[in-house]
Amino acid sequence: MSGFSAWLNDIEGISAQQALKTGLPTKRVESWKYVPTRSLTRTGWRPATPKATERFALTGGRFSNIPEVGGLEVTDEKLTPEEKKRLTGMSEAHGFGLTQAALDRGQLILTVQETASVRINLDHLANEASSAGFATLVLRLEAGAQLTFVEQFEATVVEKSNLSSLRCVITLGRDASVTHVRFQAANATAHIFSNIEVSCGENASYRLQTIEFGAKLARNDVNIALAGREASASINGLAITKGSQYHDTHLTIDHVVGDTKSEMTFRNMVDGKGEATINGRVLIRKDSQRSGTEQSIANLLLSESARVNPKPELEIYADDVTASHGCTVGSLNKTELFYLKSRGLSEADARAFLQYAFAEKIIGEIQHQDIRELVETQLLGELQQGDLIGELKESVDV
Amino acid sequence: MLSIQNLRAKVDDKPILNGVNLNINQGEVHAIMGPNGSGKSTLASILAGRDDYEVTDGEIIYMGQNLLELEPEERAWVGIFLSFQYPVEIPGVKNIYLLKAAVNAIREHRGLPELKAGDFLKLVREKLKIMQMDEAFLHRNVNEGFSGGEKKRNEILQMQLLEPTLALLDETDSGLDVDALRIVGEGINRMRSPERSVLLVTHYQRLLDIVKPDFVHVLANGEIKLSGDHTLAEKLEREGYEGIEAA
Repeated sequence: MSGFSAWLNDIEGISAQQALKTGLPTKRVESWKYVPTRSLTRTGWRPATPKATERFALTGGRFSNIPEVGGLEVTDEKLTPEEKKRLTGMSEAHGFGLTQAALDRGQLILTVQETASVRINLDHLANEASSAGFATLVLRLEAGAQLTFVEQFEATVVEKSNLSSLRCVITLGRDASVTHVRFQAANATAHIFSNIEVSCGENASYRLQTIEFGAKLARNDVNIALAGREASASINGLAITKGSQYHDTHLTIDHVVGDTKSEMTFRNMVDGKGEATINGRVLIRKDSQRSGTEQSIANLLLSESARVNPKPELEIYADDVTASHGCTVGSLNKTELFYLKSRGLSEADARAFLQYAFAEKIIGEIQHQDIRELVETQLLGELQQGDLIGELKESVDV
Repeated sequence: MLSIQNLRAKVDDKPILNGVNLNINQGEVHAIMGPNGSGKSTLASILAGRDDYEVTDGEIIYMGQNLLELEPEERAWVGIFLSFQYPVEIPGVKNIYLLKAAVNAIREHRGLPELKAGDFLKLVREKLKIMQMDEAFLHRNVNEGFSGGEKKRNEILQMQLLEPTLALLDETDSGLDVDALRIVGEGINRMRSPERSVLLVTHYQRLLDIVKPDFVHVLANGEIKLSGDHTLAEKLEREGYEGIEAA
């Protein structure tokens, strides 16, 4: 049984039938092992109604106010076989993938034209209580095109569970580049699902910065294929998980061909009864010689009942590669705490400093100042005693 | 001002201090010398409140208060400052954040008004000049990527800003070249005053040539074996610790 049964029953077609038959993934599905599915199964989900807005937004599973900018084209044509294949791959992974496909309502294909440079901001609006929206965004970058894609989430209070899912398929042509910033600070009852499927052509580069603060349950799947020589990808991620939140991040970078570079850095900070899962997989295939990867995963546990499930996976079949990796789990460093306290900082202030430092390592990498400042401000609100650092930043930063 | 009576401490059942007795009066500069592993750094760390050690006996009274009952931050508030042998790197926190937060935390506990940004910057620039440090240090992360000498100068810079009544300097001279040693030494000398006491922990006499101590103590096997004036340091430099350890 799944909380989507009634909705799926109302839909005709084979995909709804398949989703109904398969149901939501159980603990036996490895990639969903830790996901607490209770609220997904217990809510009687119904389709969300799109809200009125003047911005480019995802609301009720539909896109509104599609941006009209030079160099960006809304494409009416169909999905390419490659895009179809990748969407099918997502849906066939498990029962939730099938549900996402069956209930998908909005599909938008945007093309960034050759050598154009475009920034788009997508607002995820909060769906009303017990309602869900599913959508798919396809981004195509022609040769030499540049895209900055910023996703933000509305944090309006919603009394009961709500859900929003976006599947994103991004194809980068030769020499194209994408900076993708996701700042998830959704409402506390939200269930946020994000699938990002990226394919990089020759000398293309994809850079993802993903920050997770909000939602009750957030699941992030990122799959990047480095399919052309000299292609590169980097992922910088931070999840702050508190209360009874659950954040789950599954990252895969596939070095399909040689002479490709990747970097994967992820930090989890878990407090209260929060639980975080990080699965970071890098695959360097047998013929992908002269490739390089750097992976670093750090997990900071701030309370006795906080939990983290880290799983770094490095699969290297080529012999001429450079690879480094590290994965740590720990609490705040005692020596660092002592150092700060010996300077007169209270225990609470010292802890806030170190938590800020842990997060800042990721947030400081955000190049767009407007977004970085927004995330930093929100971070200080998330920390107990964050106001001290806020005052310091304001008073002495130049 | 500071009275240490029969202080015993251990780490993982290994005794480090075996009954240390030491009195430091206001305005005095004391140096503790001794071979590696004699317990010098342990003594400084215990005074500052590091909890890696278990104090099994004895007491430490500082200006009438039982120091062992105070948290590290409370000790800072009553005027104790430890210059670390290995200053801690804190990536992600700018030096200036720590300096301003520390100065104002201590001012608050001394009943002084908070220093506003402008006044704080004026003060910190004056101290940077004394330590011959560039203003860029303020906006770098705490000790991250600092050379050994830069870290030690940063410690003394903090001491100048926090104006402790008891400064514990744990091997502040180690890792310094001749010029840095002079800057650090003069930085310490500037802080000498009738209200402030200093405890220097060192292996070598070279810092003591610049900062002349009133008293020199030799710590060996967790006990103070010998005390004297600054000429004792010169004697140790010539003769080593061998005769003292056996005593």
